[in-house]
Amino acid sequence: MTADTLPLNRSGKIVEILSSPLKINLMELGFLPGRQIMLQHQAPAGGPMAFLMDETLLALRKSEAALIRVELI
Amino acid sequence: MSEATLSTKTKTTRIALVGNPNVGKSTLFNYLTGLNQKIGNYPGVTVDKKSGSVQINGESFEILDLPGTYSLFPNSEDEIIAHRVLNQTRLEAKPDYVLMIIDSSQLSRGLFLATQLIDLGINLALILNMADLAEKRNLEIKTFELFKSLGVPILSTDARNQKGLEDVKNLISQRNFNKAQPFIDIQQVVPAEMLLRVKEKFDLDNLYQAYQMIRFGTKDKAIPASDRTYLEDLIHSSNFDLEEAQLEETKIRYQKITDLVTRALFKQSESKPTSNLDQVFLHPVFGYVIFIGILLLIFQSIFTWASYPMDLIDGLFADISSSIAGLLPDGPLTRLLAEGVIPGIGGVVIFIPQIAMLFGFLAILEDTGYMSRVVFLMDRWMRPFGLHGKSIVPLVSGVACAIPGVMAARNISNWKEKMITILVTPLMSCSARLPVYIILIGLTVPDEVVLGFINLQALALLSLYLLGIFGVLGTSLLLKFILKTTEKSFLLSELPPYRIPRWSDVGLTMIEKSKTFVVEAGKVILAISIVLWVLASYGPPSRMDQIRMEGEARLENVSDEAQIAEIEAETSSYLLENSFIGIMGRAIEPVIKPLGYDWKIGIALITSFAAREVFVSTMATIYSIGGDIEDDLTIREKLDQQINANTGEKTFNVASSFSLMVFYVFAMQCMSTVAVVKRETKSWKWPLIQTAYMTVLAYVMAFITYQIFS
Repeated sequence: MTADTLPLNRSGKIVEILSSPLKINLMELGFLPGRQIMLQHQAPAGGPMAFLMDETLLALRKSEAALIRVELI
Repeated sequence: MSEATLSTKTKTTRIALVGNPNVGKSTLFNYLTGLNQKIGNYPGVTVDKKSGSVQINGESFEILDLPGTYSLFPNSEDEIIAHRVLNQTRLEAKPDYVLMIIDSSQLSRGLFLATQLIDLGINLALILNMADLAEKRNLEIKTFELFKSLGVPILSTDARNQKGLEDVKNLISQRNFNKAQPFIDIQQVVPAEMLLRVKEKFDLDNLYQAYQMIRFGTKDKAIPASDRTYLEDLIHSSNFDLEEAQLEETKIRYQKITDLVTRALFKQSESKPTSNLDQVFLHPVFGYVIFIGILLLIFQSIFTWASYPMDLIDGLFADISSSIAGLLPDGPLTRLLAEGVIPGIGGVVIFIPQIAMLFGFLAILEDTGYMSRVVFLMDRWMRPFGLHGKSIVPLVSGVACAIPGVMAARNISNWKEKMITILVTPLMSCSARLPVYIILIGLTVPDEVVLGFINLQALALLSLYLLGIFGVLGTSLLLKFILKTTEKSFLLSELPPYRIPRWSDVGLTMIEKSKTFVVEAGKVILAISIVLWVLASYGPPSRMDQIRMEGEARLENVSDEAQIAEIEAETSSYLLENSFIGIMGRAIEPVIKPLGYDWKIGIALITSFAAREVFVSTMATIYSIGGDIEDDLTIREKLDQQINANTGEKTFNVASSFSLMVFYVFAMQCMSTVAVVKRETKSWKWPLIQTAYMTVLAYVMAFITYQIFS
């Protein structure tokens, strides 16, 4: 599954970042395989999502979250 | 400073401040430089060059504040600048030392950029800032462990609470920086032979610089075309996948950093993130309610508070004008000074209260961390129109005044989204349109209540504001398909923890923004207002002299004060009608006739290019309304009596008034906005395109309106 389908308040472990021009942006922000993210907030109508990673809250568009492959924990 | 040190002319040491966004970099910059800041340009980009100077132990240092960036990979204009300065491509003066600020609670992310700087062979020192946050999260950083592995000096500070800042000054004055050994071996990613060739060809210091040149040199227009072709050929012939290499570098680097952080970071106990506020502020319903509430509060304050200093400035410049006119002998030069230059300067200064207040509020919202929440909430609703979540700030500011709105668009990193935002922001109905709306609505819309509670005049006013918003959305949508960019739009941002704003930073922002506006846009505004004044005051000399003489002749036999005032008002009306602007007004009459206007309105359209509210005072002059033009009733009655010579109907009937209001909704009609757009886009191209499209839009919409209502 990808991070955009993560249920609210559930955590996932990053498996890989899918290829895209934004891959490098995601990685430099710290979205790396092995790290844990937790979906904390979801803006209405398919708006951005906020994930907690290492105690930082990071905002991503749904399309950007879809680039992060995670496994539910 | 003694004369001896001045004459030796030693080069000032340049220190660049680098860091991720939201790490307290600007707080440190403000602390070091205070009010000794200046804004300059980088060639070819719209990013401002922020620099300042600081005196430590009698020695002067130049501090360069680079835009916040997460890596050396240039994704946006901000990052291109950081990339350029740090890679020391000959285009930018190279800093002698680099001071990098890292958020202590985000160690690994900060180290990503820091180790890249180390690999570039930069003379570096690190500052672990936000010690308070790290403490809150029960993090303990073993600074010595970091130092051992990185090999560059490291300081710990808490800039927000003014802790450790003296140490920073000491570090700078002792030049306690170091060039460390490379953190990763780039030969793991790129063939050594290729690196060596590029290193020699471009005379670079080390292999990582060579890698940066290979990776990004082909896209950097600052590098000569022949060199770029050389790089392209090299990459092509060795069949080398650049992007794969960059991803590989990122992976290796983060791997090493993770190992290092495990050793250097000691976590005492698990802490709960303090995100309770976000349950409210990011709530799908209450989040928006709170946002609208905050907006209303801000506008309420701006409208109530800004009016006092604005009236004061208005009065002050009127006083200066009249005392100059009284003190100096009458003549063209005195009139230019009293009626052209002084009111022109006044016209610039009058915007300061609104700009300062709006940016004060924006700085508070930014500093508390709330602004990034607004972006989070609004992004979804802005994107379909080619805008970014960040566009909401400029657009909303535009309701008060487009000038701070356009200036606030700078925070949008994507070029296309920034341009669209700048181009459409002046379509929001600003406060200067209000006097025009009010007088025309008063003329044509009855003050009646329908359906029990809807006031027709209020409904008309609301419609005009909504029309402006539709204009914004429609135009954005159109521009979305016209403007082209290769930059990919992304949100990807941190929602920083909520904090109390730093009032000194808020104050500095207010000063800096006002200063930028006065210095940069002020010149253009002053120039245009002088031109407009000349055009309105002078005309063909024979006609003008004759009118003046006739006026004087009529005055000779009159002693009644009311009559004198009336004659004087009529004379100035004739003068304006026969001035160059008057002639221009007549000249454009055929063009504006289909909109229902006569040449007198044409004159007002031209003069009110200075600022929309000038429409009212021009109308007052043209229809020779003497005395207090602030008195709405007099001007309204006068206007109501005017007959359009072309149609034989009232000049301000329903059709022509509606048409005129619609024209003001869409038309640029504000030289200050033109000047600010020029300053923000760093070219005349965009403000000219913008003025053209807005004028055409205004014309077409006004024409349609006139046809519907007549």
